[in-house]
Amino acid sequence: MTDRTLEKTRRTGVRRYMGEAILRAEDEELLRGRGGFLPDLPAPGAAEICVVRSTEPHALVREIRKQRALASPGVIAVLTADDLNLSDDALPCLDMIPGTLDARQRVIARDRVRFVGQPLALVVAANRYLAEDAAALVEVDYEPLPPVTDHMAAMNPGATLLYPDLGTNIVYQVTQRDGNAEFAPGDGDLVVRKRFEFHRQVAIPLETRGVIAKPIDNGERLHVESCTQLPQVLRNVIAGALGMEPQRIRVTAPRLGGGFGCKEMVYPEEVLVPAVARKLRRPVRWLEDRREHFASATHAREETVDAEAVVTGDGVFVGLRLAGWANIGAAFGLVGNTPITAMGAMVRGPYCVPNLDAHMFSVVTNKTPLNVLRGAGAPQAAVVMERLLDEAALRLGIDRAEIRRRNLIQPHELPLDRGATGFANAYHIIYDEADYPRCLEAGLKLAEYETFEDERRLAAASGKLLGLGISMYVEITGVGPYETARIALQPDGTVLLYSSIMPVGQGSETTQRQLVAEELGVPIEQVLIRQGDTDEVPDAVGTFASRGAASGGATARIAARTLIKEILANFASALRCEASAVSWEGGGVVIATSAEEFIPMAEIPGRLASLRQEAEPLRIEAESRLEIPKPSYSYATHIAVVEIDPQTGAIQIPRYAVAHDCGRIVNPLLVEGQIVGGTVQGIGEVLRENVVYDSAGRLQTRAMMDYVLPGASDAPSEFRLFHMETPTSFNPYGMRGVGEGGTIGAQAAMANAVADALRDYDIGVDGSGPFNPAWVLEALSRPLSSAPAAKSGP
Amino acid sequence: MAKPESGFQEAARDGSGESLTSLRVTVNGKQVQTVVPDRLLLSDFLRDHLGLTALKVACEEGACGACTIVMDGDPARACTLLAVQAEGAEILTLEGINLPQGLNHVQQLFQQSHALQCGYCTPGWLMTVYCMVERSIHPDSKQVGQYLSGHICRCTGYRNIWTAVRRALGAPNSDHSSGKP
Repeated sequence: MTDRTLEKTRRTGVRRYMGEAILRAEDEELLRGRGGFLPDLPAPGAAEICVVRSTEPHALVREIRKQRALASPGVIAVLTADDLNLSDDALPCLDMIPGTLDARQRVIARDRVRFVGQPLALVVAANRYLAEDAAALVEVDYEPLPPVTDHMAAMNPGATLLYPDLGTNIVYQVTQRDGNAEFAPGDGDLVVRKRFEFHRQVAIPLETRGVIAKPIDNGERLHVESCTQLPQVLRNVIAGALGMEPQRIRVTAPRLGGGFGCKEMVYPEEVLVPAVARKLRRPVRWLEDRREHFASATHAREETVDAEAVVTGDGVFVGLRLAGWANIGAAFGLVGNTPITAMGAMVRGPYCVPNLDAHMFSVVTNKTPLNVLRGAGAPQAAVVMERLLDEAALRLGIDRAEIRRRNLIQPHELPLDRGATGFANAYHIIYDEADYPRCLEAGLKLAEYETFEDERRLAAASGKLLGLGISMYVEITGVGPYETARIALQPDGTVLLYSSIMPVGQGSETTQRQLVAEELGVPIEQVLIRQGDTDEVPDAVGTFASRGAASGGATARIAARTLIKEILANFASALRCEASAVSWEGGGVVIATSAEEFIPMAEIPGRLASLRQEAEPLRIEAESRLEIPKPSYSYATHIAVVEIDPQTGAIQIPRYAVAHDCGRIVNPLLVEGQIVGGTVQGIGEVLRENVVYDSAGRLQTRAMMDYVLPGASDAPSEFRLFHMETPTSFNPYGMRGVGEGGTIGAQAAMANAVADALRDYDIGVDGSGPFNPAWVLEALSRPLSSAPAAKSGP
Repeated sequence: MAKPESGFQEAARDGSGESLTSLRVTVNGKQVQTVVPDRLLLSDFLRDHLGLTALKVACEEGACGACTIVMDGDPARACTLLAVQAEGAEILTLEGINLPQGLNHVQQLFQQSHALQCGYCTPGWLMTVYCMVERSIHPDSKQVGQYLSGHICRCTGYRNIWTAVRRALGAPNSDHSSGKP
């Protein structure tokens, strides 16, 4: 190719990928039904496992009798804690801080159960049908203890203790303070006090969980396939629990059929199934069914918050005092203290509020352990702040948009240390470059806020109650502490990225390839990707906290840059020339020795081999590790317009507007997909979704017929989106995360919109509802005294 | 467990005591003749016995539509049917409408509209849309919403699915802000 001149190549141009709406290549396999999800993977010779779970919320376990189950057809083994010989039976909790009590979850119950669904025994059989038959024959003698379901009652003196040795049900507390925590109202100041209740929710990815485990390498190692957002974390936990070196465990995670935080956990079954494979020396598989998913996959959101805001007569928030209590269920999730911590840390969102005094607690109860769900506590924080703003605006007679303008942090005040800390006190919360006022104005314009009162009057004439709700939030995204990636120029001239980021539906396969193709200047088709294999990427952090593109993608792009350096070093050495004589331009190597020459990437492995007089084309590898000391912060304005039918209590959403800023956008098609999908998820959470326990601690929500997810007709009739793209200096490529923001903004926008539509009625306790028809009709039965006569209800 | 009335011949049992019944069914144009446990779900039969893993099991009670197949011309939930209930039926799964390579027209529209994210629910939608196209449902008809209400997607928020489906039914390629008519 010596005749190919550099000038010629320059004229052909290099395609840019940053910011391009590239269609997803992974769609082809998914649309053909060949997505390779865990239940689709071959598991030759695998026995099936059914988990015997506690039917009691709180009890001592006197005896587990296996005999009848063992005699059931097709049964291979029935195993309890005593049979599994675990070196460490505690699951990790990553957000414990000094003073936190040890309420870590145990892999399998021994003498006490603390929630319905807790694993007690494992039945291994020839197939799932036979395993379920036998599981029903395992007899457990329980000695029931009083159940504790209400986290507020669990803190009362004399309440039944889940962990008597700890002496309390309050197992975690954190204080966040900024400015003068002793602030008090001055003359003429308004004090707004509210209690907020947030109901229990659950992620419900359409794919449940599952684990396949098999001995490999002549039994020297275990291969574990699991539906996890954190394969590297899981590998280390399995190694610890089984007392094996981490190198002897290979975890692979296939594409996930949705995660949403539900798979940001290390679950008992992810340790138990490998333990069974090791004990029985055979492949085994466990596929969670939907009923057990409701009991055993982590729950989310449940908390109570008391808030007190001091506001000047002009509507300026002087200070905020909070106490919050999360109902974290029977034990810690992997990061189950994070949501309540976010309440204190992030409640002020984009608003200044110079003084903060927040005290947050985690309380154990006899419910399924709580962990993160899309937004991880930020949705509740936004509801608290935004409801307080609307309440203050109403009582001071200030326009709702205007009171927000008066409290927003201005661009020139950024970056700003918020005086609070994130994730287990790992970092200070320092807001990065942003333009919150512009984001508010963009949202207001998009939603046609100025003419809304006319719309409301028109709707009222036809008997409909219209409401509008504004919310803004700031979200911690692109978190560290670090991330890793590997990359290789393969002998065939393609580049293969070994990514630490899992494909959970967010399109990470495409965005990561875009970032690498952008850096290399090559067509994206020449960039391949592999994800979720701990043999290929042994050390990584994982996929959560909207860090896929911002943290993982940046790391991948740096790996590509390192690869370029490696390639150039190889050429300089093979040509015995100065390093300055070789450079990377336009998707290939430019050699400026005698005659200028361009070698496109696809030809590099062969060319290097011939230069070095080797027979086989070369493979060149590079690695990267990006330290991420500071997260970046996305923000948005959400405005919901709701229409309530007072006859049925049904809520429709004629219009929904989002103005957002996630920094440099990699792929606008996928960003919009995340925002719309996240918003509808948030809307569903406050309109209908609800995990219900009876007073005896038994889970009533056991199927998708009980837990009704939003459907095609529930989505807003019209979505309006506005992108801002302020690069952040906290990320090497100016990116912030976008995966969770839709859900964060939606809850508060909906809470405010529903309250606005029902402003002539007493809506009772504030929070997340759910604002289902029964809730709406009840509110309509409580007109405020000043309100016009209610024209409502059947 | 009660035996199905049709297709029942005589009580057969396998080594583990499972009651078995013979089954003759056409799947993606191929005749299948076999013997299955009476209690075997149709979804398990198609996925585990025939290896047709495009259809997904998600709710196991007919609430989400991920397991949708076409049975004798109608969309059906494979997770709430027993395999023996398919005796004599003609079944079509996504494998049966896939082109040998690449994407068919409806699949291309789903890709272009970004109407899938994790893709777990997608095969089910495609089977329902296949029936809608076969039945020439008008893109502006109220029936569109009724068909789509049979499916849950946890990722997309539905906007892009509305767009893709309406285009599959012949709606012009215009930028609908919601996708809904």
